[in-house]
Parts: sequence; structure tokens; C-alpha cells
Amino acid sequence: MDETVAEYIRRTVLKIPRDEIKTMLQKWGFLSEMQLQTVNFHQLKENISQDVVQLCEENSADIKQAAVLDIIYNHIYPNKRMWSVYQMNKTGEEIEFFDFTDFKKKFKRRLRSALKNVTINFREYEDNAIWIRIAWGTPYTKPNQYKTSYVVYHSQTPYVFLSASVLRSNLPLLCQALVVASNYHDIREVELRSHSLNSLKDIVFKRYSQNFQTYCPRPLSERKVAPESADVRIIQENRNEKERIQRVNREVFGDGPQPKLEFAQYKLETMFKSDPKMDVMYKKEPFRCLVKFSSPHLLESLKSLAPVGMADAPLSPLLTCIPHKARNYFKIREKKGFFPESFVSP
Amino acid sequence: MEPGRRGLMPAFPCGKMEEGKARWPDGVFAHLEMLEARAYEAAVKQEETEQREEKLARLKARVQELRRQRDELRAKVDLQQKGLGKAGVVSDAAQPSARAVLEWKIKSVKAMLQVFYLTGISGKLTKQGVCFCISTAYEGTYLDSYYLDLLTKPEVRIHRHSVPTFIPLEQIAKKHLETDIRRFLSVLADHLNAYVGRRHQADQLQEHFSDQIEGTLQRNSLCNLLVFNYNLSSRSKTFPFNARLLYGDLCCSLPTEVSVSCTPEAPASLAETAAAHSALFRRVALHRAFRSFSSAAERADVAP
Repeated sequence: MDETVAEYIRRTVLKIPRDEIKTMLQKWGFLSEMQLQTVNFHQLKENISQDVVQLCEENSADIKQAAVLDIIYNHIYPNKRMWSVYQMNKTGEEIEFFDFTDFKKKFKRRLRSALKNVTINFREYEDNAIWIRIAWGTPYTKPNQYKTSYVVYHSQTPYVFLSASVLRSNLPLLCQALVVASNYHDIREVELRSHSLNSLKDIVFKRYSQNFQTYCPRPLSERKVAPESADVRIIQENRNEKERIQRVNREVFGDGPQPKLEFAQYKLETMFKSDPKMDVMYKKEPFRCLVKFSSPHLLESLKSLAPVGMADAPLSPLLTCIPHKARNYFKIREKKGFFPESFVSP
Repeated sequence: MEPGRRGLMPAFPCGKMEEGKARWPDGVFAHLEMLEARAYEAAVKQEETEQREEKLARLKARVQELRRQRDELRAKVDLQQKGLGKAGVVSDAAQPSARAVLEWKIKSVKAMLQVFYLTGISGKLTKQGVCFCISTAYEGTYLDSYYLDLLTKPEVRIHRHSVPTFIPLEQIAKKHLETDIRRFLSVLADHLNAYVGRRHQADQLQEHFSDQIEGTLQRNSLCNLLVFNYNLSSRSKTFPFNARLLYGDLCCSLPTEVSVSCTPEAPASLAETAAAHSALFRRVALHRAFRSFSSAAERADVAP
């Protein structure tokens, strides 16, 4: 077995938390159950990894199997990478019969025709997600297994989730291969980025809880009802206002959990509005400014702003439109025309 | 030290040692002992007051609790009396009260709305337009509901929706939304119902007949192409048949093209079965076709 492969497998095993190593190796399926029984998974991780490499040596693992282990690790811990969203479009209206084998063939052929030194691995999951792992090389060097890009694609959808590696120069190549393999015409980056892959999927596939007005609402038992004060002599003076805030909040954010985003960035190119007599900006130029909101869970924190009293309800539509517009990078410019209000550029 | 006491001199006033000796004939230490005893008594008294206060608080809480119980019981008694009152007076029973009429009206409206919801397409007027709910079903099982929030001014357009991305919503909207909204909803409902029907069949197959299928079904998001290897009974270990089902019509939950093939070395009887299955899958839902296989196999077993 190649030394580089052995080292790669060793480092991948070291990344896995100790309690998960056995299950992940079982998912991998490359080592037999009997072989796994011979490993003591309670010893130090260093020693576990050495034992695993030894067993892989016996089975003569090559880079393809090692890559599959890497895909499994990244599938279970996708939040360690930063994901960005790309959208493809096409003009035709033909019905798509997505064939996985066809897709793989086209993708590999397109990518390899431009760059021979790449390692490409595919893995299909039950939610129709296809994970592609690409390790990049150059025309003169072998692929670097530690500089990998990941692509997650759901068949027959125009969205692709990309976790690019440091080598951004390979991005156009990758995009082209995706477009060709999935029968689309072009691809562009959507201004949506996050560490939580599932949240990105929830936003673009509209799986997050939106509050639609219907006559058959979900039963009350699902909504949390705050306990009434035990003593009837205590009167809530602001009860109406509190209920109004709760209602408006629920209309905007829905009842369920919000998708997990870490930041929202607003690039302002608006004119500074001040008292004309003060004449702060003698040059009539847009005031350039960048506002960034960050949080471990941005949308949940926005949802709780009004109930805790830190902001008025309803919140500014610039904040609440994030999942609806499926973006967290905005550019705000002046609206040209009679009414100098600011507007959000597409 | 009791606060009421005045003129307590400090124990060792500076430069007045002789005075001290004159003031406390028993000695300074005796004086200290007396002060200590006083402090002890004061502490004991304080503890007693604290205990009394605690007890008072407990009793107050108990009073509160008892008052609350009394109110509850009073309310219950009132309610019972009212109920008895209603039953007791016979002459009023013939005229339904306004309240009962209102309740009946509300119930019938709710039932009507429920019926609309069960028909599959229901809607509610909103401030800016209308919100439609398409509830899908397949063969009697209600599956997912999808929502469409439409704006009506200045023209009809979609504001928000929860339709999956692989359903060609934009295409359908471009064709029908502005001209004929009924047609738009009907076409969209067809697409959605067919999609959940196909998905339901594939899920049922995977769930109930997984031992007759090799590995997992290969499918895609729209469930319009299924490829799998299968056999007729769960006992054999080989999967001689390969099926490829193509659903050309997105509004239909039955395939338009089916090809079932066997391995080339297979006996002729299997080839015949393959052809028969090909026709079967085109007519019958997938999971029901498989159910017919297993019942046929059972019949074959039972037959002598």
C-alpha cells in the first residue's frame, strides 16, 4: 500500500472523535467485522489509527477507498467546512430523467479532459444527495489529498452546494463540469454562505417553517403557552402589546426552528442624509459602509429580538427577508428616481 | 448589645485605667462575661423572632392555597348549579338559545373548511391576496401539504411558496398563472400529486420489499427514473431481474416506459416472466405489483 495513502488514512482516523471511530469504519465497510473486532477502540487515538492502518495494509487499500472514508467523515461532520451555494439555470423545458451513472460519466470526462491529475469520488445518499469529492493536482503533480473540494448536488434541482478548497483557480473548471453533467446552461454563485449545510439546504429547498395562513392551523398543543400568573391580583399592563409582538413575530418567522446562519452582511452605498445646513458631506457621494451581523445562530437571535424588547416588532424587512430571498450578503443602493429611498439590489 | 443602653463605656478607655478599676469592682473579665451573656440572650431572641416569622410566612402561604381551593370549588359549584338550572327548566329546552345556534354555525363552517381541505385545494384570503394549500394524497393516504402565497395586485404573482425546487413551478406559472388561475392550480396539483404518488410507491417498495431488492433503489429527486435489481421471492439470494422504470409524464404516477431484463444465461421461463412484469409495472402501482408477486409465490408454495 502506498505510504501517502497510509498516512492519509491515519490522519483521517485521527480526525474522528474516539467514540465514533468504530461506527464510521463500519459504515465504510472496507474492513471486515472480524478485523474490526481485533482493534481496541478504548486505547489512545494514535494507537487506534496505527492499528487501522495496519488492517488497511492487509486489505491493500488504495486512494479510492481512503477517499470514501473521507467523504463519510465529511458527510457526518459537514459543519466543519464553509459551504456556498451556486445556482444553475437552463432555458429548455424538457423533462429531466436524471441518471446517476450518466451524471458520473459526464462529470468525470469533462473534468479529466481539462486536468488529468484529479481524484474524483462519488457517493449517493438516500435523500437524493450526491456527494462529490475532488482532490486537485496540477498538470505536473499528483493530486493533493489534503486540498479537497466537496460538491453536494440534489438531482433535478438547480442548486449546488460547494465547499471549495484553497485553490480557487480550479473553481471555473469545477463549475463547468457540473453544468455539463447535469444538463444545465450556466451557473452563478448565490450570495448565501454558512457552515451549516443542512440549513442552506432548508433555505433554498424551502424546507424551513414558513407561516402560511390557512384555515386548518396546527393544533394548539404544538405551540408553547406561557403559564398564567398564579395570583389573579397581578395584572400584566403590557399584555396586549406582548401578544401583538408574539403574533407579528410568529407571522414573520413561523413556528418552527430557523435555519442556522452565522452572519448577514449589508454593504451600504447610500447617501448620507443629514440636515442640509450642517453640510457634512460637501461631496455628494454615497457613504460607503459595511454592516455585518454575526451570531452562532443569527435567525434565532433575530427572532428573539422583539420578544425580549431589544427591537420593535415588526423587524426591518432587510433582516427578515434573509431566508425568503435565500441570501445573506446584500448591497443597498440609492433608488434612482423621484423618491430617494434605498432599495435592495437583486 | 441592647441599643437602648446608653453610656456604655468601652472596655479599655485609653489613659483611664484607674477609672476602669473603680467602675467595675468585679473586674474587667467579669464585665466581659456579662456582656457575652447578654449577647447570647439577644441572639436567642433573634432566632426566635426569625422562626416565628418563618412560621407566619408558611401559614400565609397555606391560607393562600386554601383560598384558591375554595375559589375553585365555588366556581365548580356555580357551574353545576347552572347546568342543573338548564336541565331543571323544561320549558326553555324547546327554544335553542342564541349561543347554541352560534356554536352549531361555527361547527358547520369548520366542517365545510375541513371538507375543502380534504378535497385537495383550499385557500384563504389574505391582506394582499390569497394563500392556497394543496394537500396531496395517493390511494387514500393523505401525504404532504404544499402552500402558495399569491399576491393579486398589480398582477397575480407568487409571493412565497413551499413547493420543492424540482417541481417546475416557474414553467407552470408562466403558462397559466396570469390567464387561468384554476388551470394553474389544477396543473400544479397534478404535478404534486403525481410526484408524491411516485415517491410513495418507491418508499413502500423500499420499506416492505427490501429483501427482494438488491441494495437500495436507485432513484432521483422527482422519482421519475427508478432502476433496481430484484427477484420474485425473498428466499433466493440472486437478483436475476433488472428493472428500469421511466415516468415520462410528470403528472402521472405510472411509468410510461418499462424495461425488465434478465441476465443472458437465464432460462427462457424467466425471460417470459420478465416480459410479463414489464407489462404489469406499466399498469399497476409498483408496491401492489410486488405484493401480487409474493401472494403468487405463496399460492405456488401451497399448491401441491
